[in-house]
Amino acid sequence: MGHLMGKEYCLDHLIEVAKSIVLAIHKAPQITGKTKIEAEIIWGEDLEPIIEVMGPVANVMRYVKWDYETIKCCHEKGESPVIIAIGAKISSSNLNWNCGACGFDTCREFNAYAKENRGGGHLGGPSCNWKTLDWAMACDWACASAGQHRVDNRIMGSLGFALNALGFMPDMDAKLSLALGPPRDMVYFSREEMHKSMSYEMDKQDMVNCVPTMFTAFPGGGTPMYKTKDDWWAPPEFMGIGYSEAVMEVYQKVLFEQVPEIVVKHADKIAERYRKG
Amino acid sequence: MKKYVEDLNFQGEEYVSEWTPWSPQDIRRKKCVLEAARLMVDSAMTAPCAGGVPSIEAHIVYGQEELEAIARKVEEIAHTQESWKEPFLYEAVMVRDSDVIIFLGNTRCHETPLDAGCGMCGGTLDCGYFYEKKTTKYGLVDITDRSSKRMINGPLCTVRVGDLGYAVGSALWTAATLMVDARPFASLGMAGQKMGYCPKSGMVVGVPVAAKAKNPYVDVNVDYHLINMDKALDNTRKIYQTARIIRGFDYRKWIPKPQKPDGPKTDGPKTDGEDK
Repeated sequence: MGHLMGKEYCLDHLIEVAKSIVLAIHKAPQITGKTKIEAEIIWGEDLEPIIEVMGPVANVMRYVKWDYETIKCCHEKGESPVIIAIGAKISSSNLNWNCGACGFDTCREFNAYAKENRGGGHLGGPSCNWKTLDWAMACDWACASAGQHRVDNRIMGSLGFALNALGFMPDMDAKLSLALGPPRDMVYFSREEMHKSMSYEMDKQDMVNCVPTMFTAFPGGGTPMYKTKDDWWAPPEFMGIGYSEAVMEVYQKVLFEQVPEIVVKHADKIAERYRKG
Repeated sequence: MKKYVEDLNFQGEEYVSEWTPWSPQDIRRKKCVLEAARLMVDSAMTAPCAGGVPSIEAHIVYGQEELEAIARKVEEIAHTQESWKEPFLYEAVMVRDSDVIIFLGNTRCHETPLDAGCGMCGGTLDCGYFYEKKTTKYGLVDITDRSSKRMINGPLCTVRVGDLGYAVGSALWTAATLMVDARPFASLGMAGQKMGYCPKSGMVVGVPVAAKAKNPYVDVNVDYHLINMDKALDNTRKIYQTARIIRGFDYRKWIPKPQKPDGPKTDGPKTDGEDK
């Protein structure tokens, strides 16, 4: 007998659902049959370092901002999402297929290059493409499994970046993460948490920046005007193209100063969990 | 406009069986698999992808001649690489044992990458690894030179390849839900790409689908390309006929019977010619 009320037990049950999803991740079919996959479940206070690392990146990358704000907001409201970290070892090939998809003629050449450049990208890399497919199928089965459990979810590269930076799953060289719940509709799509975070003017400017062809006027003159106002023809605006030192400086600062500062605070504690013996 | 006329003639029967191959009842069964394959492609098309950008194309192929041609291409590829030889030859057998083949490809991985600077392709902090190895002008990749010594003309955008993985994963999830058998194959993908299936794609994965008593894609024996159901059946046709003619009798006149333990010999071999 019992009587479950409220939503708290649903939040607890998310962790059980996450465990079922991890089963699907490990059951996912593979093309090579040789790709090592790992999955971990993280929630509550343990999300805090991850959220912290996403913070500065969110300031310069809009899609990261959306993930960051949503997860942070849910966590602070006491509706912590549960995230499933999905990692794979794809930066070297034990296939000897020599298919050329990576850009090298042989797996041997790829492996030699990968040894020198491993982990150099924001999300790791370099990658064997067939192993990437195996890993992606595991991520897809995680999404499908979550969908069939009717839990709102989204697979995120932003979380993958944070997991990489903080040293989660040190044996894996590619990481993505599936964010799960809280239990309601449209947490990660349409995003109620982001309501009123942008003004109409910012929204419109985003469209002008990101979909410029929609706003281009007659191009026959060679320097087409931009239709950004109702009377767009006077006084006109034009698109400018140029290198922005200021923008690039901000990127560099985030990547090489702000993120490492946060990582240093948490890295030892996280590394301790993976220490063997 | 032509008006939809409802067909209310709802009666009939459909006999379905996997034996004998290519009989009406077997083709009816294959048509059921085709329906499943179409739903699998639906799932592939709606799979998650980076930025919601459409990049997946699919080809559904069926028919005895079509599958035989694909199987032969897989065999051809198998002999080009020592590490492919055995597994790919085994997979060619599985192609012949399939009902429908799905090819899924990514149309952007070689030409219009994500351009997000994730570095997964080459381990750098930008997309430089991809672009340096391609023929480009102001960031536009020229794919008109389609000649390549390689089986796949890399490098490819790893995120787009990941999107292809999502598509294949979703197709396979639906196969599992519908309880039809399916496996993702590299051999089949490369064969399909070389044959022109998924014509706009930089990388293709083949997913054979079947609904038979025995899942064709598991529990294979060694030397599967030499010892399999097709070969065993053909061997039966070869051996059994000969086994008939090494001894004989005119069944209208006499049929051998087992000897009764105690009784007189009534039915043994006759030595005096025909019955009178």
